[in-house]
Amino acid sequence: MTTTTTTGLGEAPALSPKDFNSGLKPIWCPGCGDFGVLSGLYRALSTIGRPPHEIAFISGIGCSSRIPGYTTAYGFNSVHGRALPIAQGVKLSNPDLLVIVAGGDGDGFSIGGGHVAHAVRRNTDLTYIVMDNQVYGLTKGQLSPTAPKGLKTITSPFGSLEDPINPLLYVLAYGAGFVAQSTPADMPGMTSILEEAIRYPGFAFVNIQSPCVTFGQEEQQVRAQKTHMKPLASLGHDPSDLQKALELAGHYGTELYTGVFYRNPEPPLSYDRLIRLRQDEMAKQARPRAQILDAYLQK
Amino acid sequence: MSLEVPLNLKSRNLDLAQLSLCDAIDLAVLVEEEARDRYADFADQLTLHHTPEAAGFFRWMSEIEEKHRKELAERRQAKFGTQPSRVNLGMIFDIEAPEHGEARVFMTEREALDVALRSEQSAQAFFAAAKDAVRDPETRALFAELEIEEILHQRLVREEIAELPPDSPGNQEDYSDPPVQQ
Ligand SMILES: Cc1ncc(C[n+]2csc(CCOP(=O)(O)OP(=O)(O)O)c2C)c(N)n1
Ligand code: SF4
Repeated sequence: MTTTTTTGLGEAPALSPKDFNSGLKPIWCPGCGDFGVLSGLYRALSTIGRPPHEIAFISGIGCSSRIPGYTTAYGFNSVHGRALPIAQGVKLSNPDLLVIVAGGDGDGFSIGGGHVAHAVRRNTDLTYIVMDNQVYGLTKGQLSPTAPKGLKTITSPFGSLEDPINPLLYVLAYGAGFVAQSTPADMPGMTSILEEAIRYPGFAFVNIQSPCVTFGQEEQQVRAQKTHMKPLASLGHDPSDLQKALELAGHYGTELYTGVFYRNPEPPLSYDRLIRLRQDEMAKQARPRAQILDAYLQK
Repeated sequence: MSLEVPLNLKSRNLDLAQLSLCDAIDLAVLVEEEARDRYADFADQLTLHHTPEAAGFFRWMSEIEEKHRKELAERRQAKFGTQPSRVNLGMIFDIEAPEHGEARVFMTEREALDVALRSEQSAQAFFAAAKDAVRDPETRALFAELEIEEILHQRLVREEIAELPPDSPGNQEDYSDPPVQQ
């Protein structure tokens, strides 16, 4: 494996962010928040130091779900809402891969919403990055499950009557061991959070408030976010305090907190590790191949 | 002029106080490289999204940044040869490169020049702050030189802006060109 350096002025990391750029030009609208997320991912991955062939990006469908094609890692731009089950399959069949799931709030919390709870409770070692822009970008600005009540969109011309889903509380409630939020308005902070999430040994969730410049709300844009984002570190939040994390996460939609809400200080073994241990255990108990037939003949 | 810049919004894993002269030149090369690539990306994006004037301007900016990068890289080579670099692109964020969110479909040439002006100001602010943070006098002198260069670039951009006719009335935000559906 390649060397990893996280400090500033030792030796520079062996990999450059450019090593993760496929060269395919994103077709996102100029100014889309997803450009920043992609750039942060390249940087986080270069610091982690795993080469592209040891990484897989899995996504569903949406503007944000195009990310796999823009990286040199393995990638699967799959089916709308189904990124998480596919990613779990990938991780279980090749546990050595670093698996990153990326997509939109619609992909993750509408059509794919049912999968989130199971991915969290199963605790497979994945990083799930949601580019939360509170609309369906790709299909031209319909109401998404994280859209605030009252939002006027083409599918809610008189204002939405529904309360939004709170993605942070959702994953915390099912026991996620790592839950964070960020925005491309704070590129270094977002990159550090992505790096930390990818390094977390279990299911890690990062909600990125990634503005849609074409269909998104004014107060969701980078310029506005810069004025109202509140880094959790500056509030003195201790990420091992689950109760406080739940309380802070409850402010989703009214406060833009950035940073790590919760990091389990004692991460349990992830599902893929448990399966591997069980396989090892069962392999020890297995009869040698030559004895399998004997077992049948004795019956 | 020494602008205030929150350094934590521009770099990561980088302790400016510890920079040697070689690190500082390497950093300056990377700053130009990041700007070159970002302007080229903007040019590509705006070409794809039917905004040829701004795309042409950003392409030109990319070429200028490449020229600056090359000059600095040659200085580095002459002074430090093959000494390994201790800094990399992953440590800096939008110092002279415009922020990713700055591009807009159907932006005018004037708006594109405003983007370039803000980026030159950001670079000036960064080099000014870096100059104050470093301990080594030679490194400080290099950052002071780079700061002055950014001020000169701003003057050039302002002159270009002054020569442009005013933008026609209307709000470019009323137009969009989103990606095609899957
Ligand atoms: C099964 C299925 N249903 C619906 C769609 C249409 N569709 C494509 S993307 C999308 C939602 C996109 O929103 P989001 O996931 O938030 O991503 P964004 O485009 O905002 O990044 C929908 C409804 C589809 N492709 N497949
Ligand atoms: S429609 Fe919105 S989310 Fe999609 S590329 Fe454009 S700005 Fe980004």
